[in-house]
This record gives sequence, C-alpha cells and structure tokens, in this order.
Amino acid sequence: MANHSQLGFQDASSPIMEELVEFHDHALMVALAICSLVLYLLTLMLMEKLSSNTVDAQEVELIWTILPAIVLILLALPSLQILYMMDEIDEPDLTLKAIGHQWYWSYEYTDFKDLSFDSYMIPTTDLPLGHFRLLEADHRVVIPMESSIRIIITADDVLHSWTVPTLGVKTDAIPGRLNQTSFIATRPGIFYGQCSEICGANHSFMPIVVESTPLIHFENWSSLLSS
Amino acid sequence: MAGEGDSEPRKSFKLLGFLDVQSVPCSRESVLYGSVGSLVVGLGYFLATSRVRRSCDFAVGGFICTTLGYWFYCRYNLAQQRIRQRMLKEAVRNKILYEGSHLDPTRKQTGNERSDS
Repeated sequence: MANHSQLGFQDASSPIMEELVEFHDHALMVALAICSLVLYLLTLMLMEKLSSNTVDAQEVELIWTILPAIVLILLALPSLQILYMMDEIDEPDLTLKAIGHQWYWSYEYTDFKDLSFDSYMIPTTDLPLGHFRLLEADHRVVIPMESSIRIIITADDVLHSWTVPTLGVKTDAIPGRLNQTSFIATRPGIFYGQCSEICGANHSFMPIVVESTPLIHFENWSSLLSS
Repeated sequence: MAGEGDSEPRKSFKLLGFLDVQSVPCSRESVLYGSVGSLVVGLGYFLATSRVRRSCDFAVGGFICTTLGYWFYCRYNLAQQRIRQRMLKEAVRNKILYEGSHLDPTRKQTGNERSDS
C-alpha cells in the first residue's frame, strides 16, 4: 500500500504493472528532455528584444513538426505494446467474480466450489492495532500466487470500480455489464485498493484487500471456507 | 554485522521536481552522461568558433541527445537482462520441479547420447 506522502507508484506485484512502471519511467525521461528544451527556449526568449522582422521560418517549422512526431512515436510504440499485452487472455487458472454494492464488495469463486462472501470495511473503531485505517476489510480476496487469475467485475446498483494499484488493475463495475480483467500476482502478500468510481456517501469506505498466497494455502483456505 | 549497511532510507532527489534519479534505473547515469556531453559539445563548439550564444544552443542540444541516447541504450540492455533473468528463473524452477522425472530435460539429453553411441 502507499504511505502517507507517496507520490509515485507502489511496487509492482504483477508483470503488467512492472511494464507500466517501466513505461512511466521512460515517459518521464522524455518529459525531462522536453521540459529542459522548453525551459531553455523560454529563458532565451526572455532575454531577447521583441522583433517583428521574421517573415520566413521554413527550417524551424520543419524542425518543430518532425521532432514532436518523433517524440510521439517514441511514446506510442511502448504504450501500444503494453496496451495489447494487457488485453491478452491466456487460459486462466482461476476465475472469480467481484460485484460492487453500496457499499461493499462481494466475491464469488464458482470454478470448483460454490464459494461466495461479502467484504465490508473494518470500521476505525474496531480496527486492531497496527492495521490500516480505511483499507482493511473483514474478508480478503485470497488468490494463488503465480497463477493467471481472471476476474469478472460487475455491480448491483450504481457504478463502482475495482482497483488494486500494485497489481495494475482498475476496472469499472457497471450494473448490467460484465467487465473482465486478468492478472498474475508474482509474489505473496496483501494488496490493498479502494473503490475508484463515485458511488454515494460511503464511496471512500469500501476497500478491496487481495491476499496472494502459495497454492497449497489457497486450497486450505477454500476448503475451510466452503465447509 | 548487525547495524552495518543502510540504516536510513535514501532521500529521493527529483530532477525538475518529477524525475526521481535515485530510484529509476538508468536515470542517474543518463543525466550524468548528458551533463558531461553537454559540457563537451558546448565547450568544444565555443573553443572552435568563439560564439557564445550558439555554443549554449549546442550545449542544450548535446544534453538532450546524450541523455536520451544513453537512456535508450541503457533501458534496452536492462530489458534484455530482465528477460534473461525471467528465463533463468523459469529454467531453475523447472529443473527443480522435473528433476528425476521423465520430463527432466537433462535426462532426455543423456538418453539421446546413449542411443547415438
């Protein structure tokens, strides 16, 4: 999860998020180059006297057409690569459904067993010491690590959005529509997210908690919960 | 020994307020090489022509070209390294997983050598 003064991304826990972080670094470096150039040109212009003698600027017009085109290509190519990577659907190992309600999430694991539960935020007054305010939920979404997970997201009433930043997932939950996304958690851990579409008074109080565990622990959990 | 090493987290240094050069791989080297390139090009042009204004233009151009040039080179190598790391990780995992079984790749190789001899 993010700390209180964090501006950058959280550490990536899925291959897609790793690619997104890499692309973000690449875009920032290009932005640094452009900002340096603009800063320099601005400084130059502030030191020049105003002049209306320019009547022909063929060369500079060529430069400021071609250079931005090159910059756009440098940004577009990796961006499109990641975009198509995000849409790849390999055969998932597990499919689960997330349904947004006002103001909690419910999850269904229906691949092997009929397993479903609701996930409410733990109120601050009931929060154990050391737990995270407004982020903890009473039931976590447990998933096996290093497995391809498909999650189908919808909503029961109004628009919601299922988000887990460290996994690089943000998908709208729309009533009457099934949205699908997939991810792989590359390491074990507990990953937090919050509803990302305004949905009423308690929009800020319906967090998502994903717990990634080795497969054997996931099997133990699912058998415990279904019994 | 306990206590040695990084006792405090490194403070981030953000160039122009947004590029964290310490945590982004290749960024520190890119900016440093860019600065050196800028100095070399600008100073070189000035020594050759004694034109101050144009030397500054070349210095800025040299900074941008050197920074971006080294950035792409370094990121390309980093991407290749990451791919090799992933392949190595997968190979080590498969070796441990399949060792001794009929799927063991080293066992297949040995079997082929015996059939050839």
